[in-house]
Amino acid sequence: MTADPEDRPGVRVLVVDDQSAFRRAAVLLIRSASGLTMVGEAASGEEAVTMARSLVPDLVLMDVRLPGINGPEATRQILAERPDTRIILMSTYEPGDLPGDLEGCGASRFLRKQDIDAAALLA
Amino acid sequence: MTHRLVLAEDNFLVREGVRRMLVGSESVDVLASCGDLGEALEAIDRLEPDVVLTDIRMPPERRDEGIMIAAHCRRRHPGMGVVLLSQYAEASYVRTLLTEGTQGRGYLLKERVADLDELLAAVDAVAAGGSVIDPKVVETLVTGRSLAGDSDIARLTPREREVLACIAQGRTNAAVATELVLTQHAVEKHINAIFTKLGLSGDRTNHPRVRATLMYLAEGQR
Repeated sequence: MTADPEDRPGVRVLVVDDQSAFRRAAVLLIRSASGLTMVGEAASGEEAVTMARSLVPDLVLMDVRLPGINGPEATRQILAERPDTRIILMSTYEPGDLPGDLEGCGASRFLRKQDIDAAALLA
Repeated sequence: MTHRLVLAEDNFLVREGVRRMLVGSESVDVLASCGDLGEALEAIDRLEPDVVLTDIRMPPERRDEGIMIAAHCRRRHPGMGVVLLSQYAEASYVRTLLTEGTQGRGYLLKERVADLDELLAAVDAVAAGGSVIDPKVVETLVTGRSLAGDSDIARLTPREREVLACIAQGRTNAAVATELVLTQHAVEKHINAIFTKLGLSGDRTNHPRVRATLMYLAEGQR
């Protein structure tokens, strides 16, 4: 019997992006990939911190530019509470053009959105 | 006015994100979103959109498929606008793209795709037969020529370089005047000085000047 994709085990992912078009696209990507399970989506840094606290995801896919606190700052706050969370920062822009401390915030890595696929998220 | 558009991009996240963003804008009707060269050419020939928005590197070869699409459209669908999305500012792509003319052609860095206003402005411009070149690309070309020791570029004043960058992005004299807070007469004087110093000839008021400027900037950078 095939398991319901929503119930399958795997890396539990929280997606954070203020642009609904890209957030929905990321949700579709994760739902279609084996080994990844969507647990929630947030549209701001503050919402990401709150949802990470309640949902305890294994992986957070976090946009860098966000309204309110930006991606690197939200990363820092999430990791202060749960240091074992894997956080991937993402943007269409090059790291040099982005706000916040991408290197020092504790994120596992930075990926350009145009390089993101299921394999990159599981690597 | 709603533009009928075919989107070609192999990365799912970007393709789906851009498609949803454009559909949400209501000024673009996305007729098809394609993931490789073959799909894109088939959709373009069948649907005959107003504008094609395409990545440059896609399957099958991931080399210059977007440039091939632009060339195909120039031959088979001359009125169709094409906006190319490039990961980096590559002079050789700009040169190849513009060899066949600047009308209805745009070259944007891929980082712009999340900025709906910039994307829609580019789509509007090429649909109307105009041209759009990413300001960062123009800056890279100007800097590249400067670093290469181009003595003609070195002879331009800082103000003339600003005017040059505006021309290369396809701006009209009026738009350049507004952007740089100059009179149109002053802009015309600067343009004449630039063309003389760079040894460019031809029409200084319309599309050919965009092509001339960009070809000059892209030439020699490989």
